[in-house]
Order: sequence, then C-alpha cells, then structure tokens
Amino acid sequence: MKVSFQLNGKDIEVEAPGNRALLDLLRDDLGVKSVKKGCENGECGACTVLLDGAPVTSCLVLAPQVEGRAVTTIDGLVDDPFMVKLRQAFLEDGAIQCGFCTPGVLISSYALLKGNPKPTADEVKKAIEGNLCRCTGYVAIIKAILHASERI
Amino acid sequence: MNLIPDVEVHRPKSLEEALKHMEAPGAKPLAGGTDLIIDLREGACEARNLVDLTKVKELDYIREFGGRIRIGAMTHHTDLVASDLIRTKAQVLSEAANLVGSIQIRNLGTVGGNICNASPGADTATPLLALGAEATISSSGGVRVIPLGEFFAGPKRTSLNPGELLTELSFPTPPAGSGGAFQKLGRRKGCTLSLINIAAYVELDGDTCSEVRVAVGACAPTPVRITDVEEMLKGKKIDEAVIGEVSSACYGLVQPSQRAHSRASEEYRREMSCVLMRRALTTALERARGNK
Ligand SMILES: Cc1cc2nc3c(=O)[nH]c(=O)nc-3n(C[C@H](O)[C@H](O)[C@H](O)COP(=O)(O)OP(=O)(O)OC[C@H]3O[C@@H](n4cnc5c(N)ncnc54)[C@H](O)[C@@H]3O)c2cc1C
Ligand code: FES
Ligand code: FES
Repeated sequence: MKVSFQLNGKDIEVEAPGNRALLDLLRDDLGVKSVKKGCENGECGACTVLLDGAPVTSCLVLAPQVEGRAVTTIDGLVDDPFMVKLRQAFLEDGAIQCGFCTPGVLISSYALLKGNPKPTADEVKKAIEGNLCRCTGYVAIIKAILHASERI
Repeated sequence: MNLIPDVEVHRPKSLEEALKHMEAPGAKPLAGGTDLIIDLREGACEARNLVDLTKVKELDYIREFGGRIRIGAMTHHTDLVASDLIRTKAQVLSEAANLVGSIQIRNLGTVGGNICNASPGADTATPLLALGAEATISSSGGVRVIPLGEFFAGPKRTSLNPGELLTELSFPTPPAGSGGAFQKLGRRKGCTLSLINIAAYVELDGDTCSEVRVAVGACAPTPVRITDVEEMLKGKKIDEAVIGEVSSACYGLVQPSQRAHSRASEEYRREMSCVLMRRALTTALERARGNK
C-alpha cells in the first residue's frame, strides 16, 4: 500500500506492504542505515527514531501506521544545535565505544533535552531506560548527556 | 529473526469506520502495536486482517464529566503520565503508567492495548480495578458498559465478542479524602515487566476507612481485586498497625502461577504480595490523609 510521510523534513511517498516494519522500511527501502536493528522486540532501543517528535522503537511500528506523520532520525538532526552539543559531549566523554547503540541513545537524549534542557541525573537515567549499551556501562553516556545539557 | 507475516492493514479515520472494518471475520485491532507486532513476529497471533486505530482520534482523550474520569482506549501511557487530571485525582494510575516499559514503549503503547492484551501483569489494569473502573465496549450494533473485572477472561483473553472494540475506561472521580498508590516489583528497576504489582485505593471518613479497593497483578490468571482484604478494612478504623496485619493475609489470598518456568516462584510472589500490599496501603493512607 502507499504510505506518505515526512522523513527528516522531506515529504516522501513509498510503496510498503502491511507487514513492513518502519525499521525495515527505513534501512532496506530508504537506505537510512543509522537506524540499527537489534532485538526487534522493543527492548534494546537501537532502532529508536522520533515519530512526531517522540522517541519510539521503529521495530514495533508498521509502515502503514506512519501515514501523514513525521519520522526523524539522527540524519535529520545533523546541524541541530542540541544534537551538535550532544555529539560533541559523547565524543569528549568516551560515551561511544562500538557505536551500535549510539544513534538510538542520541535520539532518546535529544528528545529529553528538547523537553527538559536541564535534567537531573535520575531524569537522564529514566530517559535512556529503553536503550541498551553493551560497551560503556552507561556512566559515560549519562555524564555526556549532562555535559551537553550544561552547554545548552 | 522472525518475519512479520503478510497482513492487510486498514486505516480507518473514525470510530464508525473502524467498527465497520471490525465486522470482517478475523479482524484484529492494532493500537500501539507493542504487544501485537511481537505476537505477529513470534507466530502467536493468527490474525491477518488488522484495523489500525492510529488515526481514530476520537478514542484519544482524557476528560472529566458526569462525575467520572473518562479515558479513551487510544490514550498513550505518556499522555496518562503527562495529565494533570490523572496525576492529581488518580495518582495510582499515573504512577503505574510511568512504569510501563521505557519512554519509547510509553509513547507507542496505549491503555486500551494494555487492557485488551489482558496480560495478568498488565500495569494499568490493577490501578483501574482499584479505581472501580468500567469498560465501555462498542460495536456496529451498539454500546455496552461492564465492570473492568468482567472484562478479563483469562491470561491474554478478554470477554470482547468478535466485532467489538474497547472504546473507553472510566471511573468515578475520586473525592477529597481519598488516596491511591501503586507498587511494582520487576527483575530490575527500569523497563521491566511486573513479577507482581499491587494497586490500593482508600477513602477516609475521619479515621475510618469508608471505601477501599485493592488489586493484584501477575498473581492470578487475570488482574484481580482481593475482596477479602477489602472486607477486613472497610468501615473500620484504619492505621499503619491495621494495615500491617491485613497485608500479611495476602500470603494465602493470592494465587500465583505454579509453573516452574514462570518469572518468579510461587513462594516469592506470595511473600512479596504482603510487602507490596503494606507499602501500597500505607502510601494510599498517607495520601488520603493529605487530600483534604
Ligand atoms: C519492551 C517492552 C516493555 C514493556 N513493558 C511493559 C510494562 O512494564 N508493563 C506493561 O503492562 N506492559 C508492558 N509492555 C507491553 C505493552 O507495551 C503494553 O501492554 C501496551 O500498553 C500495549 O498497548 P498497545 O497500544 O501497544 O497495544 P497493541 O499491541 O496494539 O494491542 C494489544 C492487544 O490489544 C488489542 N487491542 C488494542 N486496542 C484495542 C481496542 N481498543 N479494542 C479491542 N482490542 C484492542 C489488540 O488487537 C492486541 O490483541 C511492554 C512491551 C514491550 C515491547
Ligand atoms: S530493534 Fe527495536 S528495540 Fe531493539
Ligand atoms: S557503544 Fe557499543 S553498544 Fe553502546
């Protein structure tokens, strides 16, 4: 079926069968490889994107459900001042090791700072509850998000 | 990785249109998809004819009228958490919604989906039972309203008939002198399913407990009220000592699964039901005292 939606600010129309997950639509049909496929169970958060500005796991959304809505990945936020600050802090604080979780974590942190630019450490932890990282142990990630928030 | 089987997805824009689609044999509603899409991937759902409710905006509301708080089935957990009405008048529900999954899951998942999925540990079910909720059910043929307790028919089974949608959950607006609290125990703190959860609601008249409802999740085939505990408290003087005594009775009143592979042992769930009941009732009492 036809699905029209906004991807990173651009209106697009794609042909997608009903059983296509948004995750697969983005990666396989539209070539957006920053969105990672981990568990396909809603648990790891590697596939996190913004849907109408709110972080969601794209493995649990069917393509037809995004009709008329706005999907944003880190690719659409490259020059966004919040994302620039976050990226910088992640690099400086060693919050990226293998990087597999990073796009998802960045999306979740971005959504947090947009709504709450000065979060507490507990609020940061709650905001990234749905993002698993096998490498960093989270300490560096939390520190980086708090650093980014200080610079906003 | 398991693939999602071929499905047809209808995208109605109104409740009326959705109910028409629901008349087709085997039609299955798709709300946030956080349970359903996993079931499809795992082969646990036979339905191939999905009715996507995403665009049915008339089922997405939280409002108060006629002395009741009314929540549309398509209300997301995030919206329950953000609602001042729910936080101030029905804190027990606000607390539970805030503990469903992660922010990503709360942004997708709906209260209607949580209730209709009918997991014994569904986190919004116990607070709604404690608030005395009713379920409004619609089909092309009309509307019926039943107590939420009658909605659950077993693990992952509801009393919905083919063609029916859950459209609203509603409960009497809790009066001054009332308080509620939710307690959840999972394997870890964040993004975790309930090993057991308990919701408590009390109304005070001076020191007397004039109304009380308590419900437990993941300790029976469905979320259930523990009426034995309610009877021990209703119409009596209530304080921390009474709560302590009553709560220890939970041990013999809950009926956790005895399956060896369940998420926690029967013994552990019985023990913890006493602890969580004491905590939930104590906090509910404190809040009722403060709610003048
Ligand atoms: C990672 C993860 C963590 C989770 N954590 C929790 C948790 O902590 N606590 C918890 O309780 N749950 C949890 N869940 C389960 C799930 O997110 C919730 O049950 C959620 O509320 C389901 O809502 P939904 O809108 O996504 O439902 P869907 O998946 O769309 O639907 C669920 C079922 O209900 C039916 N349905 C939906 N709406 C209606 C309607 N209006 N009328 C009739 N039938 C309907 C569907 O056909 C389907 O059978 C978790 C899930 C995941 C993936
Ligand atoms: S791939 Fe979507 S949450 Fe893991
Ligand atoms: S950096 Fe490797 S998973 Fe997070």
